[in-house]
Amino acid sequence: MGVFVFLPLVLPLTAWPIARLAEQRLHPRAATWLLSAVAGVFAVCSTLSLALLMVVGTAQLPGNPLPDGWSDEEVRDTVPYDEVAGKAAIPALIAVLAACTRVVRRHQRVRRQAERALAGLPATPVAVLPDESPYAYALPGRRDRIVVTTGMLAGLDSAERRALFAHERAHLARRHHRFLLTVQLAARANPFLRPLRTAVTYTTERWADEEAAQAVGSRRAVALAVGRSALMSRGAPVATLAGFAAMGPVPRRVAALLGPAPAGRIWPPVFTAVGLAAWGAAMGTTASALSSANSAVTLVLILHAATPV
Amino acid sequence: MRDQKRGRRRGQGELEVQVLAALREAPEPVGTGWVRERLGGTLAHTTVITILTRLLAKGAVTREKAGRAFLWTPTADESGLAALRMRRVLDGESDREAVLASFVTGLSPQDEQVLRGLLGRAREAEE
Repeated sequence: MGVFVFLPLVLPLTAWPIARLAEQRLHPRAATWLLSAVAGVFAVCSTLSLALLMVVGTAQLPGNPLPDGWSDEEVRDTVPYDEVAGKAAIPALIAVLAACTRVVRRHQRVRRQAERALAGLPATPVAVLPDESPYAYALPGRRDRIVVTTGMLAGLDSAERRALFAHERAHLARRHHRFLLTVQLAARANPFLRPLRTAVTYTTERWADEEAAQAVGSRRAVALAVGRSALMSRGAPVATLAGFAAMGPVPRRVAALLGPAPAGRIWPPVFTAVGLAAWGAAMGTTASALSSANSAVTLVLILHAATPV
Repeated sequence: MRDQKRGRRRGQGELEVQVLAALREAPEPVGTGWVRERLGGTLAHTTVITILTRLLAKGAVTREKAGRAFLWTPTADESGLAALRMRRVLDGESDREAVLASFVTGLSPQDEQVLRGLLGRAREAEE
């Protein structure tokens, strides 16, 4: 299996160019699908590699439950990197599994709490809460719901309100929470995948903006709704280093909506920056998958041969 | 065991709504006993007090001293209570954008400036 077992741990770097370019150049729907799929495959391969390294590493430890044959001289000769990498893989894999469990638990907890908070209300698709603080959320669940406060509605005119509801309905109808959970788990599985999480968080918002623009028939109305709600909710500004901060997601969304509509093309032409980046990410993903598969098969064959029957 | 615990907790949330609904039917500020009777008298006296105290902490009811007991008055309706609970859920999540997709996220001071410029141009273009 050799050096191939390490490749899936670093190949996520090949996705960085597409993470940056896709959010600007691809249709947000295509960008969300592409980046989430790439992140998911990279994360699975990277975790598989850690697991393989762990099997080799654990076989060296005294008192482990694995068959004695797995730590034979022959196996050690065939599988290099068993000393340091194998032992380092054990805490790394435990950390990955713990972080992913925390993410899933937190999602479940917040959804349950939100559902419970709204328990006394009639079962309508939109829950309007009397609260001056302006916010709006799409709550996926057994019954999908949009939660919006009177404070938020008061600051928008009727076209902007329709845009807001269309945006939240798009989140629910397109199951955006699944994409978001996928990239969050991926970012925990391999820190190199964090830029993909940031990119997908943005592209799902853009996707919902574009769907809302189609539903209400006006990109301007959506742009105004997004801009004005952001100015209303600005109570707690995000801490940034003045002068170094790139433009935040909200102004970029408004600027994109005020510009021309994105092309519906799914896959970009090859000989452009975004095309090359997309192919780079696709090849990185394939290489990562092949490397993990290669390492897995090799290890299974070696260990099968070394297992006393 | 775990399911039991979860069921009990959800039960308390529903009890809060029931107690608040009962209070809202009262013609005047009422005592704990009135609320307990209104809910069928199956709940323990202390349970009703616990729930009323929790509603007080959420700002959904007020109370006044009348002799040795308290008289309770509702200030929020069911949707008001839901709003209070939702706020608590949201305030309890330090990084709620990680869990719930919000319509908009926070703005940095520069973002705000850029955004005002964009919106101003969009309005001019309309006129």
